[in-house]
Amino acid sequence: MHHSAGYVITSGPDPPSCCLSHSVPPVAMAAWAVGVKAVLLDVSGVLYDSGGPAGGTAIPGSVQAVNRIRESGLKLRFCTNESQATRGQFVQKLQKFGFSISEEEVTAPGPAAKKLVVERGLRPHLLVHDDLLPEFDSMDKSNPNCVVMGDAAENFSYQNLNRAFQALLNMEKPILISLGKGRYYKETDGLKLDVGAYMKALEYACDISAEVVGKPSANFFMSALAEMDVKPEEGALTSQVCKKALMIGDDILNDIGGAQRCGIRAVLVRTGKYRPSDENHPDVAADGYVDNLAQAIDLLLSSKVSR
Amino acid sequence: MEGCHLHVCNNNRRHTTMAGRRILKAVLVDLSGTLHVEDTAIPGAQEALKRLRSAKVVVRFVTNTTKECRKSLLKRLTGLGFEIGEDEIFTSLTAARNLVEQRNVRPMLLVDDRALPDFEGIAAHSPNAVLIGLAPEHFNYQTLNEAFRLALDGAPIFAIHKARYYKKKDGMALGPGPFVAALEYATDTKAIVVGKPEKTFFLEALRSTGCLPEETVMIGDDCRDDIGGAQDVGMLGILVKTGKYRPGDEDKIQPGPYRTCDGFPQAVDHILSDLL
Repeated sequence: MHHSAGYVITSGPDPPSCCLSHSVPPVAMAAWAVGVKAVLLDVSGVLYDSGGPAGGTAIPGSVQAVNRIRESGLKLRFCTNESQATRGQFVQKLQKFGFSISEEEVTAPGPAAKKLVVERGLRPHLLVHDDLLPEFDSMDKSNPNCVVMGDAAENFSYQNLNRAFQALLNMEKPILISLGKGRYYKETDGLKLDVGAYMKALEYACDISAEVVGKPSANFFMSALAEMDVKPEEGALTSQVCKKALMIGDDILNDIGGAQRCGIRAVLVRTGKYRPSDENHPDVAADGYVDNLAQAIDLLLSSKVSR
Repeated sequence: MEGCHLHVCNNNRRHTTMAGRRILKAVLVDLSGTLHVEDTAIPGAQEALKRLRSAKVVVRFVTNTTKECRKSLLKRLTGLGFEIGEDEIFTSLTAARNLVEQRNVRPMLLVDDRALPDFEGIAAHSPNAVLIGLAPEHFNYQTLNEAFRLALDGAPIFAIHKARYYKKKDGMALGPGPFVAALEYATDTKAIVVGKPEKTFFLEALRSTGCLPEETVMIGDDCRDDIGGAQDVGMLGILVKTGKYRPGDEDKIQPGPYRTCDGFPQAVDHILSDLL
């Protein structure tokens, strides 16, 4: 395995293609940091590890890192696939860990799915965490014509999966909507299967393909950019907008691969679900690899200063 | 043939009587959904089996029913009035045990408790493999997370079979396949499947008969796993419209089933009148 950190020492033999080689001190410089105006942060595994009685623990340095992004004047948005709670409860939990974060700054799949269900006049059968149920309170759930599934955790019982399966079998045209399709994530007591694994189970059982709301879908990243008001300059192309943004996450496929497909640069942290083999992934290479969010922000801000 | 519909080989009858006639020597019969659904026999199936045995063919019962060891399976079928010998039954559990022994691994056993007698003597402490059967009581968040962590650390996943669902009295229920698919996706690996529709399963089942796949007919209610699997090794497949069968299942495989019949008795009638 290689541990290329995705940045180079400017005095080293291989300066990045941009003109950083003129900066004076041999400070660590990250090519991916240049020109960034807006930061998209994944939450679980980057800000904190979930699990345990307190609902999780902050990853060391991440609380301060978020504050430093705010002080720097960079635009900031939280882009999460978490679907174990409503956005409000989710933000409250993070505030308790000391994070400066508000509900309006979070792009999450729950509200996005709700919007989709309403727009298409669907009646959902829900396979979600109890804490996400309030998101769908006002909806007609009789005689369901779609299944909406999120990270239901303990609710992923055989009985509940069977009910969702039977609901799909009863539909003339089965529609399965999944809040993200992550494979697994890290909790304080170990790795846990994410919604994607159970989505695959139902896809396989019914021979269908799910519609994914959340990362890695391009719509989700683009709406996050729109919500943080990163706009094209007069006459600029969408691709140039994306270049101003940087995604930081711990999921090589959903955070890094998903963002890159939209033209957004993306850096992988070695926290959360990270495994060394992620740095040799056959399909996705991050623009940079950092030990944690704190190091990412160090590199990002030092690049800003040196310019 | 009342109750039988020819799907693909429209000219099969002429074909078999003229050039290159198939000589039928063996009949493989699926159990759950074909001879019985849970504790109820398919009407007329016991009688039909007797008629089949009066012909000069070897009969084997091949099953992906992973809940039961061979002994209890035999007891159940005998109780329903079927005349069957234990050595005529070849199950995916037997195939799985063979694989565990060949690979010399210690499996985490996600199988029904009733299947455990078939794994007597297999070491299961500090597991370094995951063996999955139909085990609803193990298919929960906690246990699947454990199996996932083992597999992510490199333990091979053995699937007794990958059936999508099966029929219960109160409706369809998820089979082991979806849970195998979940672990495969989460760990980015492929499970080794030992039951139907794997080619090795059908060949192993025939081994003790000395017959060739070309001399064999398979009767079952699962279009992909019974019929598709059997036809892939060169057998003829007869799909029955009992058990988990749903209209349109015939179209799930290419080429389609050699024949589709209303039930096991009609399939036997066809064999006796057209294939012998």
